Amino acid sequence: MIKGRSYWADSLRQLRKHTLAMYSLGIIVVYILVVMFIYLANWTKTDVSFLDWNQQVGKEYEKPNKQNILGTDFLGRSVLRKTIYGARVSLTIAFWASIISILIGVPLGAAAGYFRGFIDDIVVWIYTTLSSIPYILLILAFALVLRGKTLNLNSLGLGTISLSGISTVYLAIGLTSWVDICRLIRAEVMKHKQREYILAALSYGCSNSRIIFRHLIPNVFHLIIISFSLRFVGFIQAEVILSFLGLGEKNSPSWGAMIDAARLDLPKGYWWEMTAATAAIFLISLALNIFGDALRDSLDPKLKVQ
Amino acid sequence: MAENNTLLSVRNLSTFFDTEQGPAKAVQNVSFDIKSAETFALVGESGCGKSVTALSIMRLIPHPQGRIVSGKISFKNHNILELTEKRMRTIRGNKIAMIFQEPMTSLNPVFSIGFQIAEAIRLHQRKKSSRAWSMTEEILEKVHIPDAGRRLYEYPHQLSGGMRQRVMIAMAISCKPSLLIADEPTTALDVTIQAQILDLLDELQKSENMSILLITHDLGVVAQRADNVAVMYASKIAEQCSCNELFKNPLHPYTQGLLNSRPQLGTRQNRLNTIAGNVPEPLNFPSGCKFHPRCPIGYNDKRCQTVEPELREVSPNHYAACWYAKK
Amino acid sequence: MIAYIIRRLLYTIPIIFGVLLVTFILFNVVSGDVSDQIAGKAASAETIAEIRAEYGWDKPLFLSWDSQFINHLKNSLTFDFGRSWSDREPIIDKIKQGALPSLSLTIPMFIGELIISISLALIVAFFRGTIIDILSVFICVVLMSVPFLSFILFGQYFLAFKWGLFPVYFWPDLPLPQYVALPILIGIVAGLGGNLRFYRTVMLDELRNDYVRTAFAKGLGTGTVLFRHVLKNAMIPIITQVVLAIPFLFLGSLLLERFFGIPGLGYLMIDAIAARDFQIINAMTFIGAILFVVFNLITDICYSIVDPRVSFE
Repeated sequence: MIKGRSYWADSLRQLRKHTLAMYSLGIIVVYILVVMFIYLANWTKTDVSFLDWNQQVGKEYEKPNKQNILGTDFLGRSVLRKTIYGARVSLTIAFWASIISILIGVPLGAAAGYFRGFIDDIVVWIYTTLSSIPYILLILAFALVLRGKTLNLNSLGLGTISLSGISTVYLAIGLTSWVDICRLIRAEVMKHKQREYILAALSYGCSNSRIIFRHLIPNVFHLIIISFSLRFVGFIQAEVILSFLGLGEKNSPSWGAMIDAARLDLPKGYWWEMTAATAAIFLISLALNIFGDALRDSLDPKLKVQ
Repeated sequence: MAENNTLLSVRNLSTFFDTEQGPAKAVQNVSFDIKSAETFALVGESGCGKSVTALSIMRLIPHPQGRIVSGKISFKNHNILELTEKRMRTIRGNKIAMIFQEPMTSLNPVFSIGFQIAEAIRLHQRKKSSRAWSMTEEILEKVHIPDAGRRLYEYPHQLSGGMRQRVMIAMAISCKPSLLIADEPTTALDVTIQAQILDLLDELQKSENMSILLITHDLGVVAQRADNVAVMYASKIAEQCSCNELFKNPLHPYTQGLLNSRPQLGTRQNRLNTIAGNVPEPLNFPSGCKFHPRCPIGYNDKRCQTVEPELREVSPNHYAACWYAKK
Repeated sequence: MIAYIIRRLLYTIPIIFGVLLVTFILFNVVSGDVSDQIAGKAASAETIAEIRAEYGWDKPLFLSWDSQFINHLKNSLTFDFGRSWSDREPIIDKIKQGALPSLSLTIPMFIGELIISISLALIVAFFRGTIIDILSVFICVVLMSVPFLSFILFGQYFLAFKWGLFPVYFWPDLPLPQYVALPILIGIVAGLGGNLRFYRTVMLDELRNDYVRTAFAKGLGTGTVLFRHVLKNAMIPIITQVVLAIPFLFLGSLLLERFFGIPGLGYLMIDAIAARDFQIINAMTFIGAILFVVFNLITDICYSIVDPRVSFE
């Protein structure tokens, strides 16, 4: 007797067998834990001065040594600590950017694909317009324009939010990156809408919103997950470029800013800050790429082996 | 069995596929002969290994996963399995040709049908382009495609299913092969078209003087067309004899079950007869006789459960792999 | 076919309108009047007012014939982008000057990338399932994970600065080709990972099709099957990728130009960002979008040439 295996259980099983992906997941978890630790410490006002990135721990431009494993920067601050704090910036930004783009893209895509007609035309017009503008330019434009502006959310009872460094970046990325997931969801919903199970639900009087939420979205959920994991890397890299161009977070170290500093340091022979940032970015990107690919392979019904 | 008019002789062919759970033994120890100008049918349900046998003859088994483990295939004094790939290419499409089940996906959608047929001619007969195209037009007429001159330039998506299969056949016979392997040529077609295609194959067999290895799961197709038949079950041959013999006097319980399960026209039946159970997977073959779990005789029989019967000659030129097969 | 082209052209109108709307909202509504910043700290009130009038910020946003929005439409469609905020030169002139250097960088990079990636992809697809295949996939993923900035920095540092194989920076009096060699190289290597992976997937998808089996059954050799049968089918998704990348060739590579001092459009944009010169960014955004729309249309036309199944009904 073969026990019935649900789609998710099957995918999980296939994923677990992929050893490289599991190691990658481990790396990702480590990064997340580090970032969570920093947030937790901030929130509980715990003393983490041993991690204080702003503290001068040695002479300027110290090469990596026993005391400072990754060396120091031009102010004598620990490169190791700066790298760790850089993770906070990158992961936070990538996370919120993903959330925003999913929150915009999925409902719009589902609505467009389900209701068709006028709503579809509007949504398609919006995203065709946005995608006609070169991505980098669009993000830069948004980032530039949103700097220093304050969002007045008093009507929602949330007060005013002043946009600064991190929030500018993830808003800019999030508001411009929802097009792909929107297209994907829209196409899937259109395909599924024709299937018999939707007709059946309609025939027994299911309301539209119930159909969308209870039937359609669970069936396209795997696409959301795949898109999330694969785009996360892109967001991290986008943030690096934005920080590098000076549009990112100013009050706390970020990997992009570290690389920017390295531009002038490298010819002088100070290679460690740049290498540390590169290595940090590379490691998380590699882990996300490998894991994301394995995730997509395990969730893609077309690739299921009989 | 080396008679003078034996065209293809397959001996002890075994083909396996490597999977995570071990080798899947798709074809085991299969042997049969095809004479010149005869139609030989290989019959069986999906998954029994008949298509893999055909692909093994053509040496088109996908190579990292699949491999021909053992056996000998003699074709015109050569052992096909020992030829270099370069020599094999002179045989494929030229001396032995194959047509497949799904004509829509088996034709390249971005080239015209004339181009695809002419390609084979240019390759094997080294004719110039213009000559190849005129020959192509003649071949299209041979397979009864009307308005061949215009059709040459059309694309697969512009033709109907039946016509696409005719194009496949045209492509296959373009270089006058001695053996045409037809893998489920009519399964994807409408019933009325099926008869037309089978008639065409019949006609071509006589006019081109070639042999046909017809692979199918449909006994109805076999009945009027084949000279000799081999029934395959779970990677092995269960029964082999002439076509008439098979229908008159089936010896293997599997064959009997297949024949029994055909709907009988003209009689009232409350339910169609079936063979209980399912076809076993290559990774999960039963011990002993592979058919025993579904066999009315063998499911309780100790010998059938433990020892696998060999294919033996039960009556002249009639072979069956069953302990209880009797004249 | 003509009717199809006309229909597609008509559809571009709402898109271009949409783009103009987006740029307007970004640069005039959300951002708006920065005449005091342009004039500088010590400017007089008259200067500020002059500047304001020049850029039209004294006019109402939408609701009049002379509104900012109408002017925005008018100006963009006639490619009159006014003068840059930083050095007050006509923007359209700067764009014209920057186009050639950018193209001399991006076009060779693009063509080189294309040829190398597609050939490698076909070869790797041929070796599918073997160690060569697995290794190349892994190398691609590794290459893709290295941030672009690092490629540039390390490349410039080692190949130019330390080992002196290439010039480090652009000097105006020397010929351009020498200076674009290293950036082109870096650009190709950096993009190789992602592109090769994509093309490999396309090839593998095609190889799964039945017509490939038929082609082998006809007796064709592997090379012929790959480069004739598979490639022509694979061109369909490849064309999308390729043609839609062309508009970006005009914009140059922001980072490469910045690091190597190539005075192209990318360099122009980086300067504009540093100077917060929205006018230039506005102009580049619009031009980028127009190019994109045009090449979208060209893509569709190319499809019909390569794929006979595409008709114009």
